[in-house]
Amino acid sequence: MSEIKIVNATGLACPQPVVLAKQAIETNEKVKVIVDNDAALENVKRLGTKLGCDVSSKTQEGGLFEITLTRKAGAPLPTQNIPVMCDTSAAASGPFVIVCAEDKMGRGNDELGAVLIRAFLHTICLQKEKPDIMIFYNTGVKLTIQGSEVLDDLKELSAAGVEILVCGTCLNYFEIKDKLDVGVVSNMYDIAETMSKASRLLTP
Amino acid sequence: MSEPTSYYVMLYKSVSYALKAEKILKTEGIPHKLIPVPKQISSDCGICLRFESGFQDKIKAALAGKVEVEEIRLLTNG
Repeated sequence: MSEIKIVNATGLACPQPVVLAKQAIETNEKVKVIVDNDAALENVKRLGTKLGCDVSSKTQEGGLFEITLTRKAGAPLPTQNIPVMCDTSAAASGPFVIVCAEDKMGRGNDELGAVLIRAFLHTICLQKEKPDIMIFYNTGVKLTIQGSEVLDDLKELSAAGVEILVCGTCLNYFEIKDKLDVGVVSNMYDIAETMSKASRLLTP
Repeated sequence: MSEPTSYYVMLYKSVSYALKAEKILKTEGIPHKLIPVPKQISSDCGICLRFESGFQDKIKAALAGKVEVEEIRLLTNG
């Protein structure tokens, strides 16, 4: 039956392989993840176990590892959000998180702030070291909806494996939930937890 | 990646010119993107408009007499 989705996570630093593996298994029955270091190997295996998948791994040539995650027949993935764990070292144990709490950058002049946030997100998009997770709340959620000036950049980040969490309460408050165009509707539990475990938290 | 390799950027004397130009291009429906002035051009924190080469004439025509353009430059890689 199932096609195998192959995720090439070589050259990526943790937790990126875990994030990519998680995204892949959410939409595929079977996922093969290729990584190039022990930490990523362990972290992806741990993710698979947590998600209740069958996990197997083998060593490939050239120092690569191949991990196969298979969803157990008939068993849905846990609906509860499994945190993306990444314990390579004590220093950088959490994800790199960017929080957009407003649809502008900085305070003082709104027109200018709207320009700055566009320039900021464009630059983040081109940057080699991308955030693991981006969180949008309060007026920040307006950046993620149809017609947003930064939609293309956010979609590109999302496609590159950046997890985008958008505050559901905020979408609801502004009555724009049906216009959400990138990322997933999230809640304060995930938002607070993600912010708490971040190794780096950046707010433009 | 998904981006074409070469673009032009249009530079202005001030941020407000860039915003004015953007408003005009939006109204005219000409594709463009507002980006920070690339580092290799200037280290100032400025903004400029980026566009693909095919739109150059259209953009020039749309802005003629309305916005003072300082410079148009060919840009490679981003």
